[in-house]
Amino acid sequence: MLTRSSIFASPGVKVPLMGNEAIARGLVEADVKVLVGYPGTPSSEVIMTIQPYSRELGIYVEWAVNERVAFEIALGASITGVRSMATMKAPGLNVASDPLLSAAYCGVERGLVVLVADDPGPHTTQTEQDSRWYAKLAKLPMISPSNPQEAKDFTKIAFEISEELKLPVILRTTTRVNHTVSDVVLGEIKKIAQEPRVPRDEPRFVRAGMQWNLERHKWLNSRLQLVEDVASKYSINSSIGEGQLCVVAEGVAYDYVAESIEELDLSSKVKVIKLGLLYPAPRRFLLENLVSCKSILVIEELDPYLEEQVKITLYENSVVIPVYGKTTGHTPLEGELNKYIVKRALASFAKSALQEISILEKIAVSPRDVLPRPPPLCPGCPHRFSFIALKIALSRKGFKLSEVPIFGDIGCYALAFNPPLSMLWTEHSMGASISMAMGAKIAGYNKPVVAVIGDSTFYHAGIQPLIEAANKGVDLIVMILDNDVVAMTGHQSTPAWRVSESGRVLKPISVESIVRAINPDFVITVDPYNLDEIISAITDVISKPGVKVIIAKHPCALLERRKRVFENKYYVEESTCKGCKACIMTTGCPAIVMENNVARILVEDCNGCGLCSRFCPYKAIKILARGTSP
Amino acid sequence: MKRVVNILVASVGGQGGLTLSRTIAYAATLDGYSVKTAETLGMAQRYGSVMGFIRVGSSIKSPLFDPGEADYILGLELTETLRRLHYVSSSGLVIVADEYKPSYTQSIKHPSLKAEDIILEIKSLWPKTIIVPARRLAEKAGNIRALNMVILGAFNALSNLLSTKSIKTAIREILAEQTALISIKAYELSYSYFQQTL
Repeated sequence: MLTRSSIFASPGVKVPLMGNEAIARGLVEADVKVLVGYPGTPSSEVIMTIQPYSRELGIYVEWAVNERVAFEIALGASITGVRSMATMKAPGLNVASDPLLSAAYCGVERGLVVLVADDPGPHTTQTEQDSRWYAKLAKLPMISPSNPQEAKDFTKIAFEISEELKLPVILRTTTRVNHTVSDVVLGEIKKIAQEPRVPRDEPRFVRAGMQWNLERHKWLNSRLQLVEDVASKYSINSSIGEGQLCVVAEGVAYDYVAESIEELDLSSKVKVIKLGLLYPAPRRFLLENLVSCKSILVIEELDPYLEEQVKITLYENSVVIPVYGKTTGHTPLEGELNKYIVKRALASFAKSALQEISILEKIAVSPRDVLPRPPPLCPGCPHRFSFIALKIALSRKGFKLSEVPIFGDIGCYALAFNPPLSMLWTEHSMGASISMAMGAKIAGYNKPVVAVIGDSTFYHAGIQPLIEAANKGVDLIVMILDNDVVAMTGHQSTPAWRVSESGRVLKPISVESIVRAINPDFVITVDPYNLDEIISAITDVISKPGVKVIIAKHPCALLERRKRVFENKYYVEESTCKGCKACIMTTGCPAIVMENNVARILVEDCNGCGLCSRFCPYKAIKILARGTSP
Repeated sequence: MKRVVNILVASVGGQGGLTLSRTIAYAATLDGYSVKTAETLGMAQRYGSVMGFIRVGSSIKSPLFDPGEADYILGLELTETLRRLHYVSSSGLVIVADEYKPSYTQSIKHPSLKAEDIILEIKSLWPKTIIVPARRLAEKAGNIRALNMVILGAFNALSNLLSTKSIKTAIREILAEQTALISIKAYELSYSYFQQTL
């Protein structure tokens, strides 16, 4: 939703930007030349924001097949002398971790920044991974903004630090920074000289020499000694207020602290130490600001990372001050923070008179018990056809759904774990469906086993598992649900596209061509909208030996809706409907609702797939021709 | 006005709750306010339960506010508004569309419920509730999807927080041309409807 003017507007102008859009503007201001990543909430909008202006800005901005490839492209570009960034969500950093750790040894030429977006909550991520530990593991500097303005400014600073230290820098954000919109003052767009030249320096770039590796490790450790000094030029750490009660905070947690101090009227008693540099922890700055404190409270999201850093700093300097935080139960170890949690922690820490005031007393209406609304598959979703077909095929062959495990993968189709489909037994990590299903077979499970994976996840991490399964010859049904897009994260391109979002002409590489090259025992491509066809395709292969791949290929319904592919919509004839709910209980389509004991199709949400009409025992669901009303 | 005005948007994914938040944030910036929003994008976006926080005022720190702190709840759907009703402050106003989109579980477990039942429940819990004939006004403007802008019109007529000029500029900046035209029409229809009602 970033408007053109925000990318091109002049310095000094104030515009409302989402954190990720602010990072995008920061990249333009920093004259970044290469921007690559893999989609993942909450990181995706950085790349999406710049894509439409790729040519105009002279930035290579594309989605890569996965995060490690993205990181390696950015690393290659950086050592060749141009500023580069790789973007990913937290689990993406796990995928990119192998090249990341080696990159600390070779270092960079022009700035290389890795954006990793953690997701306390979690809102849309499989784990509450705290990527701050990665900085420590990889021995790479990490900085973290607390709001959109800092997100933009820190992006530029990250490149400066990276170039001065010749190390990749990790820019770490959390959901409440990535997806918060706030007014941001734009900065100068500075052009810098960037000449491509590949340096030849074997001790630095060849990790096959063990003596070289030892020397580079020493080099890396010596670099880490410099980080606090280099970062201090940019004032990313600060101390706010005066008092002997001290709070250490970073990221959005700082904003909860600042507001809570105001509301609890503690500003005369509390000093806040706000950290932008997270690794290596700025020990000198911490000591200087903490040495005269009477007690210390650390407010941070996810693990007690800073809490440990503060304790180590004090211990190493023989300073004894009580430190409170997650280990003392002041804030929880799981879930995201909010103002209420922080206010309570602060009140208890400061022994404020307001401590006993429960937030519940302030509430005018007590919370209602409303049934949950988990996200379903969209109206017209081709995956719904595939899952219903699988259900029908299994029962036709006499199998109970309770005896055929379905190993799922990461993507929209995983939402089929929700009722009424209730089809998935696992959703683990990118690509794990095929390998985990293979493991179940190898363990000796003697009923059919199914793996379900989407097209983008297949490109990302499903190819090697399929090679493994085909090579070892297990009995496995693999359904690749190919909707021609990375749907879950907001419709990004896949390697099957002809033109990317930035206008780059691509050489399309289809799922089927890759599967055929792997040569499993059986391959068929079907359109799941032809329900009978896909049912018989699945039925035919269930009991066959070997690896059977069924590619269910039909574009995402939301894409087809945008292209106005759907001719008709459907409606429920009220006089015929008996209120049996068969339409809803079979499909779980969110465009059908029960109201006043009859089914109703929300005309604006119906995508006209017609699946519901197939399951109405009273033939009450009828076609509504375009432009007419029921 | 108060130093900070807290607005909660309750909607079903796909109804335009995010666009509504974005429009308010944009217009508020044009009007010289400081602004912060917090949204959950991603998987909640499509037909899931979506809650958005908007804070308008001066020097705002936290993007979130607590239950009991919303000066306004803007509801694009009735059950989602009921779900978030505990966010309303003791002087808060609830502005909600007369739109009923029950979830799968609600359809199965309470098939007899209808819009009027939820309206009654909300009103009995919070009498300071304005029910907006949103579907009718959106359709009159040219598209049911402009329902979010109908709620914006009602909100601004009742709160007087933002200038109509800034709202129109924001809509034109954020939305594509044709959608922006219908959106502005929906905003205006609703705005004048509520000005006449007041």
